[in-house]
Parts: sequence; structure tokens; C-alpha cells
Amino acid sequence: MELSLTIDGERRTAEVDPRMLLVEALRDAFGARGPKTGCLTGDCGACTVRVDGTIVKSCLKLAVAADGADVRTIAGLAGEDGLTPLQQAFWDEHAFQCGYCLSGMLFAAEDLLERTPSPTDAEIREALGGNLCRCTGYDTIVAAVRSVAR
Amino acid sequence: MIPEHVGYEAPASAGEAVALLAAGDARVLAGGTWVVPELGSGVSRPAVVVDLRRAGLGAIEARGATVTIGATATYADLIASPVVRERLPLLHEMALGITGGWAIREQGTIGGSLAAARPSSDAPAVLVALGAVAHVASAGGGRAVPAAELLAGPMRSGLERGELLTALEVPVQAGTHGYVKLKRGWSSWPIATAAAIARDGVLQRLVLGGVAGRPVEVDPTTLAPEIGEPWEDELAPAAYRAAVAGPIAARAAAKATEG
Repeated sequence: MELSLTIDGERRTAEVDPRMLLVEALRDAFGARGPKTGCLTGDCGACTVRVDGTIVKSCLKLAVAADGADVRTIAGLAGEDGLTPLQQAFWDEHAFQCGYCLSGMLFAAEDLLERTPSPTDAEIREALGGNLCRCTGYDTIVAAVRSVAR
Repeated sequence: MIPEHVGYEAPASAGEAVALLAAGDARVLAGGTWVVPELGSGVSRPAVVVDLRRAGLGAIEARGATVTIGATATYADLIASPVVRERLPLLHEMALGITGGWAIREQGTIGGSLAAARPSSDAPAVLVALGAVAHVASAGGGRAVPAAELLAGPMRSGLERGELLTALEVPVQAGTHGYVKLKRGWSSWPIATAAAIARDGVLQRLVLGGVAGRPVEVDPTTLAPEIGEPWEDELAPAAYRAAVAGPIAARAAAKATEG
């Protein structure tokens, strides 16, 4: 079947297998490899994207159910001016090593800061709770989010 | 990728959805947090998926002494609703603490959680504590059934083949509440939950989740849980759950009665 999505601002159409999950369609049909395939159960957060502005775990969504949606991936975060302040903070605080979890961490943190510009550490940890990182031990991620909080 | 061919329908109303369910081997899809992984792993192999995303079943409305919550209202919808915050503060607090971060709050639905009947999910025990009644539609008409009766067992709803959960009718919360969860980490599922409601400092109702295959009503005068066969999974063995049930119940009761 034909699937139309706007991916990081670009309107695109691709042929997808109707049995595909959204993360599989993004990666394999559209070549958007920012979101990662991790647990496929919604636990790890590596597949996180924004769909029509809302953060979602794209392994929990059928591709066919996203037809016509506006999808933003991790690759669409940085603009012509370079990294976003949150991305820069992750860089500065050594908040990632392998980077597999970055989609989930960045989108969850960005979403938190939009709703709660001055979060406590407990609120930061709670907001990141749906994301697994096997490299950092999380403290540097919390520090990065804290450093851009107002 | 779903291993075998499966049909996909996104009906525009509950009536259309019920007609599709009546036609054959169908699986209802709401938020996808349980059903999509089951489809992808091949655990669930229906002929057709009936996606409720266009069925208009997500509204939350105050109706006198009750609040009607559409089955596909997400946890984020519950959190954002002033009606839920003011009239069902226990449900509001529960939605704020759902496992899995904000994305899951945007994706998971209250009706889906009840139908999934997972022992460790927050929603089933809280809906039982609040006295929620489930509205179920089918080709033959429909029925209203207490949430407790819709929880047949672990991972097993009491919905019959062809039936669609359309809404939950929840009596306005009369009194103060306490909600306690025992869990090991920020991202962990709860091992046990306790939802208590008190009026004028007197405990009225207390329901435990996670400790057995279905929510457990606790006698508010004794606070001694009668669990039967405790639930057991990778988070905790049966003996552990049996041991923590009483203390968790007492904590929730104290929170509720202290207002």
C-alpha cells in the first residue's frame, strides 16, 4: 500500500507493507533511521517520534494508522543554526554514549520542558521513566535536562 | 512486522465497529500499547484489526452524578480534563502516574487498559474502587456491566465475542482518596497498588491491584485482604505479594482518611 507522511517537514510517499509498524515504515520504507527499533513492546523508548506534535512510541503504532500524519524524528530537531540547546546540553554533559536511546530521551525531555519549564530532578526522572539507557546510568542525562531548565 | 496477513479497518462510528466485530475474527485496537506488540509478535493473529481511532469514542462528559468517559480517552485526556480533576481526583492521580512516560499517557487508553485486564496495570483496580460501570455495545444491542465483572481473570476480559467496550460511567467520587503504589524503579510496573476512598475520615472502600489475577476488594472495617491465589510474575513472587498486600492497603487507607 501507499503511505504518505510529512517527515521532518518534507512531504513524502512510499510503498509500505500494511503489516509494518510505524517505526519499521520510517526506517525501512522511508530511510528515516533516527528512530531505533528496540524492545517492540513500548518499554525502551528508542523509537520515539512526534506524530502531529505528540510524542509517541512508534513501535506501538501501525504504519497504516499514521497515513497523512506529520512526523518529526530526531533528525529533524537540529536546524540550520545547529543543535538545539537541549541537544547541546546532552553533548556537553556526556549524556549519551552509543546514542541508541537518544530519540526517546530528547523527545521526552523536550516534551517535559514544554509543559514544565522548571522541573525538579524528580520530575525529570519521572518524565524520562519510559526510556531505557544502558550506557550512562542516567545521572548525566538528568544533568543535561536540568542545565537547560529555566 | 506483523507475521501474517491481517485486514485493517478504521470505522467512523461505534455502530460500524460493532458491525465489523460481528462479521468475524476481529481484534479491537485502541491505543496500541498492548495490542500492537501482540500483533507484531504473532501472539494475536486475528483476521482483521478494527482500529477505533476514528470512531469518536474519546469524549469525557459530566452528567449529573456520574462522569461518562469514552473508552478511547487516553491517560493524557484524563489528565487534561477539568471534569476528571475535580470530580474524579483518584482517576486524575492514577493517570499522572502511569508507567512508561508521557508517550504512553498519550497512547494508552482507559478502555484499553480495562479490556486488557493486566493485573499490574493501574486502571482496573482504580475503576473498581470508583464503582465504574462499563457500557458495552454489540450487534444484539448492549449492556451495562460493573467494571469488576468485566475483569474475568489475568489478561482476560469478560467481553463476549462481538462486544465492544464503548464507555465507562463513573460515579462522582464522594470523599477523599488515597492511592499507593509499590514499585522498584521509576520505569517499573507496580508490584501492588491500593486505591482507597473515605468520607468524613471514615474508610468506605479499598481495592488492591497487582496482588491477585483480578482486583481485590478489602473490607474497610478490618483492612485484612483476602487475596486467594496471589499473582506472580517476573516482578515479584506470590509470597511477596501476599506479604505486602496488608501494608499497602493500610498506607492507602491512612492517606484517604487523613484527606
